[in-house]
Amino acid sequence: MDPITAMYVAQGIHGLAYGMVLFLIASGLNVIFGMMGVLNLAHASFFMLSAYLGFQFVSLTGNFWMALLLAPVATAICGVLMERFLLRKVHAFGHMGELILTLGVAQIVLAGVKSIWGSESLPLKMPPILEGQVAWAGLNYPVYRLFIIGLALVVMAIMALLLYKTRLGKIVRAAVSDAGMVNALGINIPLVFMAVFGIGIWMAGIAGVAIAPILTVFPGLADQVGMDAFIVVVTGGFGSLTGAFIVSIIFGLLSSYGVQFFSQFAPVLIVGFMAIILVIRPHGLFGAREG
Amino acid sequence: MKKFLPAIGWVVLLGALAAVPAALGPYYTNLFVNFAIFAVFSVSLNLLLGFTGLFSFGHAIFFGAGGYGTALTLKHISGMSLLPALGAGVMAAVVLALILCPIVVRLSGTAFAMLHLAFAQVMYVLALKLRGITGGEDGIGNFPIPPFTIPGLVSFPMKDSPQNFYYFAIIILGVSLWLMWFFTKTPFGQVQLGIRENAKRVDYLGFKVPQSKAVIYVASAAFAGVAGSIYGLFHNLVSADGALGVLVSFAPIINIMLGGIGSFLGPVLGTAIFQIIEELVSRFTDKVELVMGLTFVLVIMYAPMGMLGVMRMLKQKWFPGPAAGNATQKTP
Amino acid sequence: MKQTARGVFILACILCHLFSSAYAQAPAKAAFDFKSIGDMSDFDPTNPIIPTGDTIKIAIVASFSGPAALVGQIYWASALWAAHDINKRGGILVDGKKKLVELIKADHMSKPDQAKKITERMVLQEKVHVLWGTDGSNLQKIINETANKYKVISINTASLSDDLQDATNFSRYAFQSSMSADQLGRGLAYYYGKIKKKEKKFYILCQDYSFGHVLAEGFKKGLKEYYPDAQIVGEDFHKLFLTDFAPYLEKIKASGAEVIFTGDWIPDAANLLKQARQMGIALPFAHIFLDEPNFLHEVGVEGTKGLVQISQYGSANPNFKTPEHIKYYKTWNELWKNKWKTPPFNSRLFEHGTGNIGSYIEQTYWLLNVIARAQSTDPERIIKVWEGDSYQFTTGKVISMRACDHKAIQDLTILEFVPPDLQKQSFNIPPYYWYTGAAATGPAFTIPATSVLPLMDPNLDRCKGKSAAG
Repeated sequence: MDPITAMYVAQGIHGLAYGMVLFLIASGLNVIFGMMGVLNLAHASFFMLSAYLGFQFVSLTGNFWMALLLAPVATAICGVLMERFLLRKVHAFGHMGELILTLGVAQIVLAGVKSIWGSESLPLKMPPILEGQVAWAGLNYPVYRLFIIGLALVVMAIMALLLYKTRLGKIVRAAVSDAGMVNALGINIPLVFMAVFGIGIWMAGIAGVAIAPILTVFPGLADQVGMDAFIVVVTGGFGSLTGAFIVSIIFGLLSSYGVQFFSQFAPVLIVGFMAIILVIRPHGLFGAREG
Repeated sequence: MKKFLPAIGWVVLLGALAAVPAALGPYYTNLFVNFAIFAVFSVSLNLLLGFTGLFSFGHAIFFGAGGYGTALTLKHISGMSLLPALGAGVMAAVVLALILCPIVVRLSGTAFAMLHLAFAQVMYVLALKLRGITGGEDGIGNFPIPPFTIPGLVSFPMKDSPQNFYYFAIIILGVSLWLMWFFTKTPFGQVQLGIRENAKRVDYLGFKVPQSKAVIYVASAAFAGVAGSIYGLFHNLVSADGALGVLVSFAPIINIMLGGIGSFLGPVLGTAIFQIIEELVSRFTDKVELVMGLTFVLVIMYAPMGMLGVMRMLKQKWFPGPAAGNATQKTP
Repeated sequence: MKQTARGVFILACILCHLFSSAYAQAPAKAAFDFKSIGDMSDFDPTNPIIPTGDTIKIAIVASFSGPAALVGQIYWASALWAAHDINKRGGILVDGKKKLVELIKADHMSKPDQAKKITERMVLQEKVHVLWGTDGSNLQKIINETANKYKVISINTASLSDDLQDATNFSRYAFQSSMSADQLGRGLAYYYGKIKKKEKKFYILCQDYSFGHVLAEGFKKGLKEYYPDAQIVGEDFHKLFLTDFAPYLEKIKASGAEVIFTGDWIPDAANLLKQARQMGIALPFAHIFLDEPNFLHEVGVEGTKGLVQISQYGSANPNFKTPEHIKYYKTWNELWKNKWKTPPFNSRLFEHGTGNIGSYIEQTYWLLNVIARAQSTDPERIIKVWEGDSYQFTTGKVISMRACDHKAIQDLTILEFVPPDLQKQSFNIPPYYWYTGAAATGPAFTIPATSVLPLMDPNLDRCKGKSAAG
C-alpha cells in the first residue's frame, strides 16, 4: 500500500494498541467497581508498583517473562492485603470513605516506591525477541505493540473464561446482582470479593509490566495513566466489561486519529466524547441504573 | 447571663478575627485567608453533600469558573473595580450551574458524582487548550487588582497590603458562610435535609425535588465561585492546575471527611485540620505524601465521622448525659 | 628602532592570539576564581554541612516531595556545591562581616498555593535574602511576586519562559540567569542554517505548553532569519506526560522530515526518544533536554547518536581548556565515584556535574559573586551590581545581565552526540569519553550571544529605546 494509506492503517493499529492498554488498566478498575462497588483511586498506583516490581524482577533474573509473570502477582498480593485490612473496614462509609482511603493508599504507594527505588527513571528493556518491526504490505509496525494487543486479548479471554465457565465466575456474577442472597446461600462473600479485587489489581499489574518498556518507569507513572483509566470506566459504565472494552477502543482510535487530524485538540475529542456520552447516558454507555 | 453568652461569643470571635493581622503578622494572616477560602469552598460542597446527599467529584468547576471569571474581567476590562469583578466570577459560576442544571438534577449517587468528574476534566482540558483566553498552564497572572472603593468615601489598596486584603476576604467569606448557614435554617433548607434522608418521601409530600435540588445546586455553585474568585485575587494567578485540577475537587471532600459530614461547621473544622497538618508536615519532612497518605488512611479507619464525630464521642465519654443505669449520674 | 617595533608587533600578535582564543568576548567584570577553591573533599549532597546563625540565607524553591522530587534534589545538590565552596573559602564579606551561605529547602510541591505559602514563609519567617527557583513558569511567577512584594532578590535558574521578564510580570528584584525559550529556538535555527547547513526539512514536535509554543516560534523565526531554505514539514503540540507518541511519530514518518525539533523534558523526552527508536525512526532530534544519561543508556549508542542539543552550559571544544578546569572537574568526578553513595547522587545523572547541573552550579556561583561584590545583602546594592554585570563561568564562557529587563545574554553551545570513540574531541582527558553506553558530546559549536539575544518585550518601559545587546 502507498505511504499515506499505510499511515492511516498504522494510526488505526496504534489506536487499537493504546486502547488495549487502556482496557487492561481500566478493566481491573471496572471489575472492582462494578462487582464490589468500590471506588479505587489507588488503581493506577498499583499499575505503577507493578512496573517497578517488574523492573526489580528483571534486574534479579534478567528475564522479562519472569517479570511479566511474577510482578503482577506480587502486586495483586499487595492489593489483596489492602482490601483485607483496610478497604473492608471502610465499606460502610460509602464512596467518600473509599475515596479518602484509596487516595491515602495511593500516596503511601508513591512514598514507598520513591524510598525503595528512588526518584529517578528506571529502564525496563523489552525482550530482544519482541524488538524491531514487522513488515507487511508496505507497512512497518513495531512488534512490541502487536504483542501488547495480543497480551490484552489473552487477558480478556482468561477473564471471560473465568467469569463464564468457572464456578467462581458464576458466584461472582451472582454476587454482583445480589450479594446478600449469595451470602445467605453460605458462600464466603468476603473471600469472593477479595479474590475479585486481587484479580482486578492483577490486570492492572499486567498492564504495568507490559507498558513499562515503552514508557519511563518513574514516580509520576500513576498520575500519567490514572485519569485516562478512570475516564474509560466512567464512560463505559461501571461494572460493564463490554462497555470498558468498547470505550477503550474508541478512545484509542480517537487518540490516534485525533492526533492525525486535529493535532493538539485531540484531548478535547476524548473528554468531549465522554461528556456527551454521560449527558445522554449518565451511567455510562453500558452502565446499569442504580436502584 | 446565659442569654448573653452567644452574643459575647460573637463579639470575641469578631474581635479575634479583626486582630489577626496585627497579632499574627503577614505570613499567618495569609495562611488564614487561604484557610478561609477553602473553608467556604468546602462548606459549599457540603451544601450538596451533607444536606442533599449529592456528591460531586468535580466541584472545582465552580471554583475555577469563579477564579477565571474574575481574572478575565480584571485583565480585559480596564478600570474594572473590585466588587463587580468578584460579582463577575460568581456570575460565571452561577451561569455554569444553570447550564448544567437540567442535566444533573435528575441524577443522584454515583452518576452525579462521576458526571461532575467528567465535566471537571472537560473544563481542565479546555482551560489548557484555549491558551489564548486562559493562558494555558501558566494561567492568567499579574492581572490588575483594583483597590476596594466606596466611591467618594474610601479607597483601600488591595494589591500590596496583605492586611487590607485579609479584611476584604474575611468579610466576603464570612458573609458567604453566614448566608449559607442562614439558607440551611430556612424551611427550604430543611427540605434539603429531607431530600438527603428520603427523596421519594419528600416528593410524595408535594415538594418538587428536582427544582429544590436545582436551587441548592446553583447556591452551592455560587459560593464555590466566591471562594474561587477570592482565591484568584489572593494569588493574583488563576491557572488550570491551581483552580481546576483534580486535587482542587478532592480538597473539599477531604476537608468534609476530616471535619465530619452532616454538620454545617464540619468542613470548616476539617479545612483547618488539613491545612494545619499540611503546614506542619512541610516544615519537618520531605516525605509529605507518606504522612498525608497515612493521615487519610488512619482517619478514615479510626475516625470516619471526622473530627466532630471524635468530639461527639469524647463528649459522650466525659460528659455522659442522663442514661439509664449510668453510675456516674449526678444526683440533683 | 625597526627591530624593536617588529618585536613589539610580534609580541602584540602573540598576546592577541592568546587572549582571543580563550576569551573571544569582552572580558568579564568578574570570573570564577579557581585558585582559592575550597576544600570540597567533605562534600556530600546527602549530608551537607549547612551553617546556621548569622548567615546569608538562600531558599531553594523546588518540588522536594511528590513525583517530581528528583528535580528538587538536582537543584539542591547543585546549589549546595557552590555554597560549600564559598563557605570553605571563608564565606562572603557583607555589611562589614564575613558570613557563610546557608541554603534552605522550600518545597512548593508543584502547586501554586503551596508556592505562595512556602516563599512567604521563607521571606517572613526564615528571613531569606534570596529566593532561588524553579522549573514551571507559573510557579516562578509566584516566587517573583513574593520577591517583589517583600523586596528580596529572586534568581530564576531553571524556568525558561520569556514572559517572566515581560511588561506584565517584570520585577526589579527578579533576575533570570537561565537561558530562555525564544533564544533556544533561534539558536538551533542558527546552527542548522549557519553551521551544519545540511538538513532542510524539520518537524516540530513540542509540548502543548507555553514553553513549547514560544520555543517553536523562536525556531521558526530563527529559520527565517538564518536558514530561509529550510522547510517546516509539520508542527504538533502534544499534551504533557503523554503516554503514547506513536500517532505523532507516524505523522513524522510520513512527512519526510530529516530532523525532529523538540523542547520536551523528562518524562516526555525519554518516552519520545524510546518510542521513536522502537518504531524504527532513526531521525536525529534537535533538543534541549534529551540528555538524561539513564534513558540515553537505555536507548544505547545507536539510538542516541546524531542527537543535537543546545545548552547554556559548555563551550566550544575541547571541553577542558585549562589545568584548573580539569582539576575542578576531577574534584566533582572523584567525589561522585568514591564518596556519594546514596541515590540519586550516586547515579549516572551526577557523574560529570556538567550540563544542566553544571549550569545551576554556575548560576549560583554568579549570584554569590554578585553578593560578594555588592558587599551587602541589601537588595538595592545587589541590583546595582547585577544590572549590566558580566561574569565568567568555569568553562570560560562569559554571561552578562541585561540591565533593562534582567535577562541573561550569553553564548549558547550546540553539542552533537557521537559514539564513544569520537567523544575525545570534547572529553580531552583520560578516559576520553563521556559515556561508553550512549552517544554524548563530540563536536561542539558556539552560537554567538549577538545572534541569540534573549527576547526583549517592547512594551516594557525600562527597555524602550535600549539595545537588546545590553
